[in-house]
Amino acid sequence: MIDPVNLLTIALMAVVTYLTRIGGYLVLRNRTLGPSATAVMEAAPGCVLISVIAPVFVSDRPADLMALAVTLLAATRLSMLPTVLMGVTSAGILRHLIG
Amino acid sequence: MSISQPYLRQTDKATAGAEFRRGVASCVPVLLGTVPYALLLGAQAAQKGLSAVEVPLMTGLNFAGGSEFAAIQLWTSPPHVLLIVAITFLVNSRHLLMGAALAPFLRHLPKRKVFPALFMMCDESWALGLSDARKRTLAGGHPAFSLRYYMGASIAMYVAWVVFTALGAVLGPMLGDIEAYGFDMAFPAVFLVLLAGMWKGIAAARPWLVSLAVAAVTHLVVPGAWYVAAGTLSGLAAAYWLSGEA
Repeated sequence: MIDPVNLLTIALMAVVTYLTRIGGYLVLRNRTLGPSATAVMEAAPGCVLISVIAPVFVSDRPADLMALAVTLLAATRLSMLPTVLMGVTSAGILRHLIG
Repeated sequence: MSISQPYLRQTDKATAGAEFRRGVASCVPVLLGTVPYALLLGAQAAQKGLSAVEVPLMTGLNFAGGSEFAAIQLWTSPPHVLLIVAITFLVNSRHLLMGAALAPFLRHLPKRKVFPALFMMCDESWALGLSDARKRTLAGGHPAFSLRYYMGASIAMYVAWVVFTALGAVLGPMLGDIEAYGFDMAFPAVFLVLLAGMWKGIAAARPWLVSLAVAAVTHLVVPGAWYVAAGTLSGLAAAYWLSGEA
């Protein structure tokens, strides 16, 4: 049920993740940042998010690229739930139709 | 004094409950997007050989979806411990910035309340808590940050995440090939909506475009999940360089 190496990996992931959660608060709770550091901080969450999903932008399946275009358009206009539904259904339908 | 104090405590309790429920309620539309994504993660994890006990253990202790998806993509039997932990850190390094953005709103709270609250901080509860704090500031509310509201949203996310990833691990093998249905597109969809919420114009988004380009090229030429690190770091470098230009 629980493999020791899996458990070790999960425990280390949990420790590292908790450190990222308290780190920013601990370092910055009594400080204010300069303009460059502020600019980097403001860009950072978006840089991480877009990097994580970058592979789908260069997918070799035309259906995925078309579904991504639909999802991107939906994300600029709609809220979370309709965007997710449109992304999932468009990917499902387009893959079925054009592979 | 002896009359007003218990009375005050009573109303405090009622307000606290209402704030908590307000947090849970504001999280409901987010949960509808999270549940398929949790089922998908559980199903993918099961496909990689993680058990129905290991999956909720990971999602309950780590509780950071992006890093868990990245970890599962990289999972082998046995897993490359250091690679997975390093990628977890890179994907979650945004928490450093999120915690820093939240820090000014947490100054009135004791650390014994802040540390557990930060354990529950995810993209969604952070965004909800922060935008609520901004609204309350404009309305003259004090304190700006409502801890109960934030905890309502966070705990709703936490319970849903752990329960539905576990369920995904149990049901996954019965669902067959999930990619055929298109459920994997839920992940880019969630992230694109979060990005749209952060949008402040094309000028501010230039570092994101750098990240996207570098991550995409790295993904094509370098095996593994290094594209996350390469994309993020080059975007941060671009943000630093652009800030000097302004």
